[in-house]
Amino acid sequence: MSIPLVPNLLRAHLAELAAEDKRHDDRGQFQGRDVELEVNCLPRAEGSARVRMGDTIVLAGVKFQIMTPYPDRPNEGGLMCSAEVRPVAGRNWEAGPPSAESIELGRVVDRGIRESGCINTEDLCIIPGEKAWQVILDVFAVSDDGNLFDAFGLAAIAALRNATVPAERFEVGEDMPLDVSKTPIMCSYHKVGGRFVYDADKREELGGDERIHITLGDDDHVHSLQKGLKGIFTAAEFAEINEQARSRCAELRDMVNNALEGE
Amino acid sequence: MGGYGDVQCIDENGMRLDGRTKDEVRPVSIETGVVPVADGSARIRWGLNDCIAAVYGPMEAHPRKIQRQDRAVLDVRYNMAPFSTTDRIRPGFNRRSREISKVTAEALESVVLTELYPRSKIRVEIEIICAEAGTRCAGITAASVALAHAGIPMTDMVVSVASGKVHDIVVCDLNKEEDNYGEADLPMGILPNTGELVFLQMDGDLSPEQFQQAWDYNMEAAEVIHKEMVRALKGGDE
Repeated sequence: MSIPLVPNLLRAHLAELAAEDKRHDDRGQFQGRDVELEVNCLPRAEGSARVRMGDTIVLAGVKFQIMTPYPDRPNEGGLMCSAEVRPVAGRNWEAGPPSAESIELGRVVDRGIRESGCINTEDLCIIPGEKAWQVILDVFAVSDDGNLFDAFGLAAIAALRNATVPAERFEVGEDMPLDVSKTPIMCSYHKVGGRFVYDADKREELGGDERIHITLGDDDHVHSLQKGLKGIFTAAEFAEINEQARSRCAELRDMVNNALEGE
Repeated sequence: MGGYGDVQCIDENGMRLDGRTKDEVRPVSIETGVVPVADGSARIRWGLNDCIAAVYGPMEAHPRKIQRQDRAVLDVRYNMAPFSTTDRIRPGFNRRSREISKVTAEALESVVLTELYPRSKIRVEIEIICAEAGTRCAGITAASVALAHAGIPMTDMVVSVASGKVHDIVVCDLNKEEDNYGEADLPMGILPNTGELVFLQMDGDLSPEQFQQAWDYNMEAAEVIHKEMVRALKGGDE
């Protein structure tokens, strides 16, 4: 993604607002934008979700393929998460091979889900050493107005949780729901005007500094962390956002559960 | 054109697998503003097809070698999302999407008043979210609405639709089975106000009479789809 020159005016404006404990869209420091979550919205995907946070809109789709298990893990299938930010999503996203930014997005979302252990790769084995399921999770940005990380993370876990293993189409048994035992949720905080805020929008991303992504599991266990962009933060700052992440992750997890119950 | 012929696409009463008669268009609905950060955008749902088009610009054209001194260039990309089909599509450009991007750009350049924006570029992004035959037509149609939604001056919009032949019967607006097992496919890009064409492809086998029938079906279907395009842009029911 090509980042335009950040006008110093925008940085100065955001800093002035922060000094008065304000944000440019009148949100509180740890207040997110309204979130919409819709599941099972892509008819050709085996599991899917659409997330809207303000003007950020993303999709996630789950597909399955049959793979040969790796020789050192003959009883296990695989999970792959790929993020694509195509130029449809904003004027600064460019065509071409995946940029470092979109690769980072995919890998951070992947780690949160993989490391939570919500998918038992041994359950994906069909015939040991011969056939296993590969679960492929594709997240796709429709409109980027900031914080694609959290939108991708939320869409990803919601899509996995309503996925059906298409065993009949591959003639290896009966269709069954994909077993997803946990609901890892990511919360991201950006340093804007010298303090961390939750769910930064595009302007705050452009006029801000470093960002921290935290993925928490059902039991508040940490499953992935990532610090991105240039900036310095203190232990006290991290402790505060980690505390904030716990309550926000729980709210978003309830939202996922409710959306799936409505199905 | 698979031509395997073992799927019965039309029953003895002339009904198609999705319950349509041979001259009927799949249900079409269009909405605008679906990509809030873009200058113009549209989503078309057409049968099971679900396609998003976004327009950015006119903007500075770079690299400079793509600039034209007397007009704007249209930078069009057609892409199918990995989860848009039964078998996952590996991300990245391929020969098919590149060809469709090219013919789509040429169709749209025929109606956009590019000479108003010399040395600039207008980006048109077409993303197929869910595919069910006729995605190039859905893409061109959605892109036209997105350009109009962005306020880009055009002489007309382009309505694109494909008719074809299955079991030797000409049918309007092919669905997935008819596209896979049928014998001909004739996609056209039509200017609804004049009946002129800016896009034409065909593959398969059609007699002169069948060709004329498919042509006429496309013209009739274009009228139906054009009404929905206008309704989406004007807002509310027409």
